[in-house]
Amino acid sequence: MSLLELRDLAVRHGDTALVDVADISVKSGQALTIVGESGSGKSLLAHAVMGTITTGLAVEGTMSLDGVHYDLADRANRKHHWGRELALLPQEPALALDPTMRVRDQVAEGAPGFRSRRKAALRRAEDTLGRLNLGHAARAWPHTLSGGMAQRVAYAAATIGGARVLIVDEPTKGLDRDSLDQLADLLTEHVATGGLLITITHDLHLARKLGGELLVMRDAIIVERGPADRVLTTPEHDYTRRLVAAEPSRWQYEWLASPLADATADPAAEPLVAAEKLAKSYGDTELFRDISLEIRPGERWALAGPSGVGKTTLGNLLLRLGAPDEGTVRHHNAVAGGRLQKLYQDPALSFPARVRLTDAMRDIVRRHGVPPGRVESLMATLGLPESLLHRLPGQVSGGELQRLAIVRAMLLEPALVFADEATSRLDLLTQERTMDCLMSELTRTGCALLLVTHDRELATAVADHHLRLDQAVHPVAVP
Amino acid sequence: MLVVIAAFAIIGPLILPDPAAQDLGRYLEAPSASEPLGRDDYGRSVLARLAHATRLSLVFAALCVGTALVLGTSAGIASAWFGGWADAALRGISEVFVALPALLVVLLFAALAADGSLWTLYIGLALVQWVEYFRVVRARSSLVLGSPAVEAASLLRLGPVHVLRRHLWPELRPLVTTLAALGMVTCILAVSTLGFIKVGLRPPRAELGLMVTEGFPFYDVAPWMSVAPVAVLFLITACFLGLRRSEVTT
Repeated sequence: MSLLELRDLAVRHGDTALVDVADISVKSGQALTIVGESGSGKSLLAHAVMGTITTGLAVEGTMSLDGVHYDLADRANRKHHWGRELALLPQEPALALDPTMRVRDQVAEGAPGFRSRRKAALRRAEDTLGRLNLGHAARAWPHTLSGGMAQRVAYAAATIGGARVLIVDEPTKGLDRDSLDQLADLLTEHVATGGLLITITHDLHLARKLGGELLVMRDAIIVERGPADRVLTTPEHDYTRRLVAAEPSRWQYEWLASPLADATADPAAEPLVAAEKLAKSYGDTELFRDISLEIRPGERWALAGPSGVGKTTLGNLLLRLGAPDEGTVRHHNAVAGGRLQKLYQDPALSFPARVRLTDAMRDIVRRHGVPPGRVESLMATLGLPESLLHRLPGQVSGGELQRLAIVRAMLLEPALVFADEATSRLDLLTQERTMDCLMSELTRTGCALLLVTHDRELATAVADHHLRLDQAVHPVAVP
Repeated sequence: MLVVIAAFAIIGPLILPDPAAQDLGRYLEAPSASEPLGRDDYGRSVLARLAHATRLSLVFAALCVGTALVLGTSAGIASAWFGGWADAALRGISEVFVALPALLVVLLFAALAADGSLWTLYIGLALVQWVEYFRVVRARSSLVLGSPAVEAASLLRLGPVHVLRRHLWPELRPLVTTLAALGMVTCILAVSTLGFIKVGLRPPRAELGLMVTEGFPFYDVAPWMSVAPVAVLFLITACFLGLRRSEVTT
């Protein structure tokens, strides 16, 4: 029975406390999950434990592992444990893998005795990959892996050294449900075999699956703790209640899609976008074929499916941002002249990076003769302070920038908005806020929506028309 | 420092005596208070010649770099923007120039016009230099033009001028200014190299490379004659390279 204890852990930047936690203990056989929104200090906590925190931040506190004490202020005293006792599964595993090494070789580097017995290490890496159903990918390069596969390769690399303490930092970003379930199974297995697990996430699904103990963090402190199923079903703290209610399946808004009411659209109306028998393939891989759909004014469509099946590609074809291999896309006159807008997964990339937001917005206002004051009034409606406009896109948080992107799109009074995973990188509360802004604006203007997402709950909550793309080429249209 | 050299190049020729004025009586005169760098083998003032030579180098390099920059940048943007055959054609032309050693092109042009005039040198150097702007700008522009930001701008119907002004130029400016600082150095060194091997500008024009060559036979009796232009070349190079580093970090 091993035990990891953290006492009086604090991370400070100048006078600001970024993490301030009195005590945390992790027992083997019981997962510990820390949830909270972005900026609550969860990830810093993980890095403080590992000793990988940036040098600009001051760390205090002690850690004890099986009775051995470590001063957390000293970043180096746990270094010899990396991989053997302590392991971190980093955010964005696709970026954490070395793009110039084959999967098996880089997994093997973490195996014990890699330097002296290379053959054995490689064999061990193959075994590990085989157990994770990645045997076929052992010789592959990281860039050819899907997000879920890269996540499992990173897991293999992090755990091959036999570390008992595994810290998982935001594993859910951009992963679809199936990959997430696979990862949850791996983590559960780690706990079941006597490992210590600390998972940092904003995904309540994962927290629920892992069970064990749950800590809710907000603004550097822990606001609630307890068994996961208790905290997630009967939350006590106000913040936890809001967090739990922010899951799309529990949303309560006027604009939610209701299965009873007829869709707002008039079925006789001319379609804004009419696609006929679309087909697209990249190289030898066929993404889809024979897709026909018509989007009428005010309709809300959701394109769902796991990552890599061509949801975004299909959306881009419908917006005529790409050319289909076969089939046609017709646009109604109502969407001409910029009345078709797109929201991007990473809003920071959709603004000119080196131009202040005021200038970017003013360009649109001038070009399209938007009435003065419209930007300001829209921003006020969406709860954005005007001072944000004086910044560069990189200096605004993801959630705020996505709302600014909504403001930008709405300036042109679009007839159809294509939201391409627009909230999949945001935490739950921010996602709820952003979707509320978007949907309220769409409802107010009667604009149609094309939502691409891998989150089935989000799709169900928002859309009246669903199109599922699966690995199999044939899509299922559900009216 | 660069400002001091530029001031020397601008003001020097105005207040100093004629660089070609000979005074054979003051043959290889040593430096003195009235003539800080002494006089050369024809009794001409080395300081005056140096000022003229520096001005020539700087103005000429600026002209070459300016031309290459405008030509290369616009070709690079056009290539990335239009793609297809325009891109293929421009890339083909640029590769021809890359395949030839830079000095060879300049030498070729210098040899074509046997009188060693400034114009042939100017065309030759500009032709050699536009390629690097073209390649860097083209690579960066195609990245920028393929970005979601430009896609969003086209959905917002903001037009090509907006893309140039807000997307391309802010991304390209630090690149081309860095390249231009390096280009100035290459250009000044190329002109003086050609002068040094006597295929560039002809005497009696005051030119840094020529001055070094002319000073060499008298190195033992009048070292100032060749050391002065070398020092100026060194300072200019160091200044431009220093400028480049501040460009990169800002």
